[in-house]
Amino acid sequence: MTTTEHATHATHATHTTHATRPARWPLADGWTIVHRNLLALKRNPAIVAANLVGPIAMVLLFGYVFGGALAAGGDAAAYREALVPAAFVLVAGTGLIMAAGSAALDVQNGVTERFRSLPMQRIAVPFGQAGSQLVLSALSLAVMSGLGVLVGWRIHTDVWSAAAAFLLLLFFGYALSWVGIYMGLLIRNVEVVQQLSAPIFGLVMLSNAFVPTATMPPVIRDIAEWSPFSAAITAVRDLFGNGTIPDGPLPLAHPVLTTLIWSIALIAIFGTLAARRYAKRD
Amino acid sequence: MRNTFTMAYRGLVKIRRTPEQLFDVTLQPIIFTLMFTYIFGGAISGDVASYLPVIIPGILVQTVITTSVVTGTQLREDMDKGVFDRFRSLPIARIAPLSGALLADTVRYAIATTLTFTMGYLMGFRPEGGLGAVVVAALLVIACSWAISWIFAFFGVIARTASSVQGISMLVLFPLTFLSNAFVPVDTMPNWLQWFVNVNPVSHLVTAVRELVNNGAFTSDAWISLAGAAVIVAIFAPLTVRAYMRKA
Repeated sequence: MTTTEHATHATHATHTTHATRPARWPLADGWTIVHRNLLALKRNPAIVAANLVGPIAMVLLFGYVFGGALAAGGDAAAYREALVPAAFVLVAGTGLIMAAGSAALDVQNGVTERFRSLPMQRIAVPFGQAGSQLVLSALSLAVMSGLGVLVGWRIHTDVWSAAAAFLLLLFFGYALSWVGIYMGLLIRNVEVVQQLSAPIFGLVMLSNAFVPTATMPPVIRDIAEWSPFSAAITAVRDLFGNGTIPDGPLPLAHPVLTTLIWSIALIAIFGTLAARRYAKRD
Repeated sequence: MRNTFTMAYRGLVKIRRTPEQLFDVTLQPIIFTLMFTYIFGGAISGDVASYLPVIIPGILVQTVITTSVVTGTQLREDMDKGVFDRFRSLPIARIAPLSGALLADTVRYAIATTLTFTMGYLMGFRPEGGLGAVVVAALLVIACSWAISWIFAFFGVIARTASSVQGISMLVLFPLTFLSNAFVPVDTMPNWLQWFVNVNPVSHLVTAVRELVNNGAFTSDAWISLAGAAVIVAIFAPLTVRAYMRKA
């Protein structure tokens, strides 16, 4: 058998393997990638800290330095309590950058090329990256909750509402991680990906995270009220009992439903784009 | 002196060849001014127009002081690339590359200052102190930032990498710029924080600039800022020069 025949035979074998694998295998392959990424997390726990630097700085800066000036009636303690759910949502936003960085690093280091050569489902790699980001978000939220309690944040609703809030945060974060994975595969440069942190923080700023949208000028207010971050923050505040649903347009009137719709839409769009981008060789 | 100007010219040529170096002095004042004014202005001062006299001096000081970090990082990059080894072989004053870099950076501060005031003007800010007071305020900020750049130049000479210079500098600057009266009134902060904000040199500079542009008054805060700048230069200029001469 010649070298060319060998190569052709190997290619046929790979294609056959891909075609004949059961439908459950993307999950199994995806779990392998999750496991691989979690091992990296175990070896380098500073990743969790990196995920929390922005949200922690935000709570301390806005809670203590700007809080008195921004709080309605100057009640800084109540302001801090409403700020912590916004920090939870920022953890989800930071997850986007972490996922993008992880995907870009794998491309940059040639790991993605190695995965492509293995007899595994194409969707499994981005699926696994999103899964490991979900675990990282859960860990980050746990740490952030502890910090929240220290600055005076409390849950004022029942255990089911609180559980729903955490699940919604994780689902929203999971959706954003798909956006990050697609961007990482598209940009393919870790240094450039890290520049995304400023626009992401800007998007969180351009929401009801720090001030009520009613205090903003008309155009800015419209953007803030229709922002997915505003919907998520309002939903989480409502579920934790850290604020009432404000009068506003449809997204703020039904924040939980809006956040779910945004999350499903982001997964559907960016999940497809990420899978296509991963399958594409260039 | 001529060597210093030649090296300063080199710094300006570098900026012309790589204009992305100016992103921090061009984008930061624009983004920060828009963001703070339109998002927080209504909540802090009741409306955007009332917040502009408070925020423009604050953004100006924060932007220009943050820009002074570049002095240290670029100095370190040049030293790492071996450019300074080449300068050593030239018949020029050994201090010229250092003093030239510091002089060239005053152009960056001038750009940031002009942009911040222009941005404020476009948004409706009208300095009550008049044009003369605005020019004096701009010169005060540039002078103080030039003095502060000696600290970062010192870090640039003694640090191992450009990223470590950036890291150390931001660790120093973040609390100084944000734990000040640049963005919100001091009396809205917790008591334990007010003490630090009141002794923070950045707060003195912000107050001095506010008094100049809004009232045309050269107050005690301006004198404190100038005295502070003189002290920084008196301490860090000899330290930086000594460390630089040892390495150059």
